[in-house]
Amino acid sequence: MKRLWKKYLTAVMAAVALCVTTACGSSVGASDVPVVASDGDVTIRLDWWGGDSRVETTEQAVAAFEKLHPNIHVDMEYSDWTGYWDKLAVQSAGGNAPDVMQMDELYLSFYGSMGSLLDLNTASKYLELNGMSDSLKSMGQVEGKQVAAPATTAQYGVIVNNTILNNLGLTLPDTDHWTWDEFADFAKQVTEKSNGTIIGSLAPNNGYGLQLWARQHGEKLFDGNHIVIQPQTLASFLQLPADWASNGVEGSRERWSENSAATLNDSDFGKGQQAMMITQATMITPYAQAAGTDDMSIVPLPQIDPGAKTMYLKPGMYWSISSSSQHPAEAAMLVNYLINNKQAGTILGTERGIPSNDDIRHTLANSVSGTDRTALNFVDTIQPTLGTSPSITPNGASELDKTIIRYQQDVVFGKRKALDAAKAMIAELQESIDFAS
Amino acid sequence: MCVGNQFGNFGNTDRGSASRLYREWHRANDGDTEQEDIVSSFAEFGVLVNNRHKPKDKPADTKVALGFLAPWLIGAVCLSLIPMLYSLVISFTKYNMIKPPQFVGLMNYRHMIADPRFINSLTVTLTYVIVSVPLQLVAALALAVLLDRGMRGLAFYRSAFYLPSMLGGSVAVAVLWKMVFGADGLFNAFLGIFGIDTTMSWIANPDTANWTLMALHVWQFGSPMVIFLAGLRQIPRELYEAASVDGAGTWRQFRSITLPMLSPIIFFNLVMSVINSFQTFTQAYVVSGGTGGPSDSTLFYTLYLYQQGFASLRMGYASALAWIMVLIVAALTGMNFALSKFWVHYDD
Repeated sequence: MKRLWKKYLTAVMAAVALCVTTACGSSVGASDVPVVASDGDVTIRLDWWGGDSRVETTEQAVAAFEKLHPNIHVDMEYSDWTGYWDKLAVQSAGGNAPDVMQMDELYLSFYGSMGSLLDLNTASKYLELNGMSDSLKSMGQVEGKQVAAPATTAQYGVIVNNTILNNLGLTLPDTDHWTWDEFADFAKQVTEKSNGTIIGSLAPNNGYGLQLWARQHGEKLFDGNHIVIQPQTLASFLQLPADWASNGVEGSRERWSENSAATLNDSDFGKGQQAMMITQATMITPYAQAAGTDDMSIVPLPQIDPGAKTMYLKPGMYWSISSSSQHPAEAAMLVNYLINNKQAGTILGTERGIPSNDDIRHTLANSVSGTDRTALNFVDTIQPTLGTSPSITPNGASELDKTIIRYQQDVVFGKRKALDAAKAMIAELQESIDFAS
Repeated sequence: MCVGNQFGNFGNTDRGSASRLYREWHRANDGDTEQEDIVSSFAEFGVLVNNRHKPKDKPADTKVALGFLAPWLIGAVCLSLIPMLYSLVISFTKYNMIKPPQFVGLMNYRHMIADPRFINSLTVTLTYVIVSVPLQLVAALALAVLLDRGMRGLAFYRSAFYLPSMLGGSVAVAVLWKMVFGADGLFNAFLGIFGIDTTMSWIANPDTANWTLMALHVWQFGSPMVIFLAGLRQIPRELYEAASVDGAGTWRQFRSITLPMLSPIIFFNLVMSVINSFQTFTQAYVVSGGTGGPSDSTLFYTLYLYQQGFASLRMGYASALAWIMVLIVAALTGMNFALSKFWVHYDD
């Protein structure tokens, strides 16, 4: 009997060894398919994250693309944000990544440095990237390769719910050159006047906000693979929500905490219970719909040194092409269509952000109305404060947004002093970056 | 003599009913018991292999049985056993799912010692297990004893109390929980009845968030309750009659008859509860939006493992965490078995 078990064990171990070696062997390599359009029928896959309205507009745009190129068929896949990255990691591991994928700045370095993305310069015959500013284009580069095409830009600003301010009888101060103190003072008045039913605002709590905070302090967040923000500067960023929770701007600690985890429709700003929101300009339309008002406007972010060139055009989303794609030319044609074609630009609108292509942005600004138009024109408002682009989030720091909230929570609930939290956060992120590279 | 016979009979039926209970429990906890399924099925497979070589058995039977088992065997080996062993290999590597794994020795295991979030996730999970498991078992036993008195509408109450066990692990209930313990949730409205006005959000405060999840666990007392109820039915009435003739009160009867007679079932419930609650994932994932927040107060071990593997793409570290969890759960179970001889009364 003992021998028999041995036999079974050997068989199992052999099977294990087989599985292990085959799995290890399937590393992802770039395909050597030449970037030349095919005459025959071709099917490519397009994958993105996003909600229902994005599904609708993207399907329309893709249908129009297929009409222009009858030999190309596009299979579409989509999921929510978290599910998208889980899926993309597994697909990439299996050498099965979609031909065209929506990409985010947080994950670009990872996929770019793994060699999973096609250098778009090799497809320049089919894909035009000169419709956008050079500084924006450069934010699609990793290790000197153009691994992503910025599709949209995002600009941070303050979205104001004017209906609330009118009801409370409050008037915004001069917002062209306002400081953080002026912002907080005004936000506090909202909470006080409404007896706490409506809150003034929430402190910024993501990587984009932190990047701008660093720039306003004359620093940067990252330099290549190093975190270079000063601990004191980071500490003041982590301290901000704690101060605003105690002085009333955010209502209370728990209210801030609930808001930082809430979906758009469940957040105070989405429910019309918050006067001002620091976020991306294009969020104005979904927020206005959720809060049931059409009287929203966007004003510039407060600055430490008003008027300084601290803003930059952050790519909202990118399109990337898989380096293992069997049809890179057709994939490039699709990306080109999505970012440069006027018809596509009109169909897609501002749902993914402000179009990176300046012509399309101007066309849209003349054709749309309401909050969409407000968002498109905001780019011109902040033009005087635009500085040079920072380096993109390095590989290993993809969890930056969640990490920021976690350390802010530690400070807000008194688990750590702000400076200790800042030092711990820098150490944690740096370890993660070093590990990944 | 008569009582002695009863004991003897009881002993026999108990063994039969234990396996029935196990099956019942299986049905009740469908989906959570894959490991036990695998373990018990491997045991049965072993029996088959043994039997094959007993001359009195007909070999043809075993072959047919193995044939019928084949789909399961292939599934268990390829989808459970091999990935498990593969994860052991991966735990000694640095692996981000895209680049091939790179052997790093014990680095992942050493990293745990210096990882404050790992230590924190252990603390959070152990607190959860230590608080919620006994509370749940006490609640289940108390209700089982009450229901055992044969009140009218027993079937209805039994189903009503059992219902949360079937729903408690679902995403929908976790979402509901988020609303119940939110700032303007049901719980605060309930407190308002007693004149306690608060806008405290129990979910959003790191000091209370884990307690709301413990409450959710205790609320699912129905499954152990049903098992207790079945166990109570197996205790011979004569014991209580004899005890009351001797002048023992209700409390005394409970302590000296119910508890010892029920102790194997309490033990069974305890072991299963500890194993299951150590693996809690869905509730914390949904309530905290996948972050384990606020301030890592609901960062359960499994949630941290998931984050490391699929968000930070440290598959090697996540695999090491998984194997440490296997060891911890095994140690806890072993400890339970070791301690059981001091309080579990088997009626042989």
